[in-house]
Amino acid sequence: MTPDIFLFWLLTIVTLGGGLAVILMTNPIYSALALVFTMVGIASFFITLGAYFIAGVQLIVYAGAVMVLFVMVLMLFDLKTEIAAFTRGLFTGALKIFSVGVMGGLIVGAIMMSAGSLDENIAKVNPEIEASMSPDAPTKLLGQALFSRHIFGFEALGVLLLVIAVGTVALSRSRGGTHAKQ
Amino acid sequence: MLNSEVFLDIGLNHYLIVAALLFSMGMAGVLLRRNVIVILMSIELMLNAVNLTLIAFGKFTNNVDGQIMVFFVMTIAAAEAAVGLSIAVTIFKKFREVNIRFFEHLKG
Repeated sequence: MTPDIFLFWLLTIVTLGGGLAVILMTNPIYSALALVFTMVGIASFFITLGAYFIAGVQLIVYAGAVMVLFVMVLMLFDLKTEIAAFTRGLFTGALKIFSVGVMGGLIVGAIMMSAGSLDENIAKVNPEIEASMSPDAPTKLLGQALFSRHIFGFEALGVLLLVIAVGTVALSRSRGGTHAKQ
Repeated sequence: MLNSEVFLDIGLNHYLIVAALLFSMGMAGVLLRRNVIVILMSIELMLNAVNLTLIAFGKFTNNVDGQIMVFFVMTIAAAEAAVGLSIAVTIFKKFREVNIRFFEHLKG
């Protein structure tokens, strides 16, 4: 067993265990902690897949900013006990779990069925990634593609972020800011 | 008895199946949980699963466009978390609880 294979299975356990803990923990703080495990696991997956820049962004944006946002809002609410953490009704709950199982099974089944055809149809779209040995080559290609072909999307994202920032401030400062009405 | 090749030869399908399972977990969380914040966390879980799929396809097809799409998805996800959490704060301000069943009473 080479380190690559061991790392893959270790990260699989961390990521899927974290994901399971997010939806099963009744205390939201524990859910947030489990979500951090999942985020770090996903970032490590990105490193094993050679997407170093995206892995860094994942750690900064998700494991840093978004998680701090979640935990801060949880602290603001001070939820000691949570009544009715899960959905009510045995039948609807069973139906929901069943539908999730069916969907997961269908996706995994589709992947398994198409196993051969996927490997055959993969073309060498961009051989220079493989050709260059320097570790920053993928990041360089990413930057070139982002600022040439996808520049409009990049600019549009900037406008979107401005709108979101203004909207969030407007939404949360209406009627007394973050302080709840007594 | 499963062939041990399945566990030792890591390919595209392994990453896709991990992502599919993670997505299913996020979907289960959205359907089953009642806490708005945990529902938002489950949505983040689903977005991360999709990101993993995109990066895996990009790696195994030697294509950098997958990473650019992940870049965009991450930005949108951060914005979505900010807006969702401020809506959760609004629910909490009115009802002193963040249960999803108060969501329909937010009108006006």
